[in-house]
Amino acid sequence: MRRGRATLRLGLGITGVVLFGVLAGPFLTPFGPEEMDFLNVLTPPDAMHWLGTDSFGRDVLSRVLSGGRISLFISACGVAAGAVLGTTIGMGAAWRGGAAEAGVMAGSDLLFAFPSFVLALFLMVVLGFGVQNVIVAIALTYLPIFARLSRNLTRTLMHEPFVQAARLMGQPPRRILLSEILPNILSTLMVQASIGIAFGIVIEAGLSFLGLGVQPPTPSLGVILSDGREYFQRAPWVLTLTGALVSVALLGLNLLGDGLRDLADPRLRRAAGP
Amino acid sequence: MRLPPVLLGLLRRTGILALTLLAGALLVFLAMKAAPGDPALSVLGENARPELVQAFRRDYGLDLPLWRQFLRWIGGALHGDLGRTLTIAGGVPVGELIATRLPVTAFVGLYALLLAVILSLILGTVAALQRGRALDTLTTSLAVLGVSMPDFWLGYVLVFFLALNLPIFPSYGFVSPAQSIPGALLSGFLPALAIAAPMAAVFSRVLRAALLEVLHRPHVQAARSLGHGEAFIFLHAVLRNALIPYVTVIGLQVRYLLGGVVVIERVFGIPGIGSLMVDAAFGRDYPLIQACALTFLAVVLATNLLVDLVCTRLDPKARA
Repeated sequence: MRRGRATLRLGLGITGVVLFGVLAGPFLTPFGPEEMDFLNVLTPPDAMHWLGTDSFGRDVLSRVLSGGRISLFISACGVAAGAVLGTTIGMGAAWRGGAAEAGVMAGSDLLFAFPSFVLALFLMVVLGFGVQNVIVAIALTYLPIFARLSRNLTRTLMHEPFVQAARLMGQPPRRILLSEILPNILSTLMVQASIGIAFGIVIEAGLSFLGLGVQPPTPSLGVILSDGREYFQRAPWVLTLTGALVSVALLGLNLLGDGLRDLADPRLRRAAGP
Repeated sequence: MRLPPVLLGLLRRTGILALTLLAGALLVFLAMKAAPGDPALSVLGENARPELVQAFRRDYGLDLPLWRQFLRWIGGALHGDLGRTLTIAGGVPVGELIATRLPVTAFVGLYALLLAVILSLILGTVAALQRGRALDTLTTSLAVLGVSMPDFWLGYVLVFFLALNLPIFPSYGFVSPAQSIPGALLSGFLPALAIAAPMAAVFSRVLRAALLEVLHRPHVQAARSLGHGEAFIFLHAVLRNALIPYVTVIGLQVRYLLGGVVVIERVFGIPGIGSLMVDAAFGRDYPLIQACALTFLAVVLATNLLVDLVCTRLDPKARA
C-alpha cells in the first residue's frame, strides 16, 4: 500500500510538471516554436537553447513543449472518445445480453486481434493523414478495449444486491447503468484511460514518425522525432533528448496509472500492458 | 469413433480461428472500399484515358459488384493467390511478396521475444526473491521505465550508443539468416533489443507477481519439509506454477510486438512485412495493405491458439 502511494505521488508529480510545461510552454521559453534563426543552426544544448536547435535554428525545447501539447491533445481526445463510445457499447451489451452482447464481443475481439499499431496504421490509410484522423484512429483502436473491459466489469456487478434493488424499485436501465454501475467501474476505466493516453502518445509519435500521421509543419512529438532522425548523424541530441523527455512524460502517466490501479483495486495489479 | 476431447477442442478452436480470419478479411475489405480515392486513378494518374481506366477496372475485377469482388478475393486467397500489387514493385503477386518478407519479420520477432524472455526471467526472478529490497526496487523501476520508452526512439539511442562505439553491430541494414546466421544474429540484435526492452519490462513484472503468489503456497512448504533443495523447489514447485500467467501475457504481448516491428523495421531498414506495409500505405497499394493487415491478424490469432495449447499443457486442471 505504501508503495502504491509513493508510485501515485511520483506519477502525479511528473504528470503535473509535464502538464504545466506543456500548457505554460509559450511563457516558459523565450523562443516561439516556429521562430527560425539561421545563424544558430543545429547548435548543441547550451544555456540559451537547453535542447539545442534544429536545422532551421528553431529552439528544440520550445518545439517539444508545443509538440507535447498537440500530441497530448490528440491522444487524450482519441482515448476519451474511444472510452466513452466503448464503455457505452460494452455496458449496453452486458445489460442486454443475448445475441447483442455476443455480437458486440465478437466484434471487439476481432478488432482487438489486430495489433494496435497495425490497426491504427491501416485506419490512417483508410481515413487519410492529419490530426483529426489520428484522433479517430486512436479512438477506434481503444474502442474495443473499453468495450471489453466495461462489459466484463458490468457483468460482475449486474447481479449484486444493490443493482437488483434498483431494478426492483423500477428504475429504468439507463439510470441503473449510469448511477449504480458506472460509479463503481469508473476507477478501473480511469486506470485504463491513463495508461491508454500514454500509449496513445506512442501511437501518434510512431505514425507521425513514419510520416503517416500528423503532417509537418504541425509540430507534434512524432513530427519532431522524425525531423531529428533526418540529421541524427550531425545532431544526435535532438532525437535523443526529445525522446528522453517523451519517455519521462510517459513514465509519469504510467506511474499514475499504476498508482491509481493499486489504490482502486489491489487485485488488478497483475493486469498489465497496453 | 469418438475423438479425444483435446483434439475436439483443437478442432473447435481452429474453426473459430478460420471464422475470425474470414470476418477480419470482410472488415478489411469493406474498410478499403470505403477509403477515399480510386485505385485506378491513383495508379494510372488523374488524367488517364477512360478506356484505360475501364481496362484497369476489368483486369482487377473492380467493375464487379462488391460481394463478387470479395468472393473473388477470398477464393483467390484460398488458392494462395492474393492478387497483384498496384504500385509497389510493379505489379508482382502479393502472395509472393509476403512470403519473402514474412520470414524476416518472423526472425526479428522471435529474436525479440527470446531476448525479452531471457531478460524477464532474470529480472522477474531476482525481483521476486529479493522482494522489498534494493534490487527489487531497482528492477521494478527499470520495468516501469522500459514500458515508457517508445521503442523506435530506443532503437535510435541503441544505435547511437552501441553501434557507433561497437562496430560489431551494424546501425542499418539486415543480413538474412539464409545468408549468414551469425550475421543475422548481429544485425538483428539492436532492432530486436529495442522491441524486447518494453516487453521484457511487462513480462518481468508479471513473472514477479506470479512468483510471489506461488512462493508461499502450501505445496512449496510441503516440498521444503520433504527436504528438497531450494533450486529444485524453485524450478519444479514455484516456476512451473508461475509460468501460466507468464505464458498468457507473452501471448497477449505478441500484438504489441508486431506493432513495434512495423516502426522498428523502418528505423533499421529491415525488409520485413512491417516496412512492406508502410511502403504499401505510402503507395496506396490497396491489395497489399489488405494482405499485410490480414497477415498480422493471422499471426496474432495463431499465437493465441498456440498460447492456449501451451497453457493447457502447463495446467493439469485445464487439461481435464
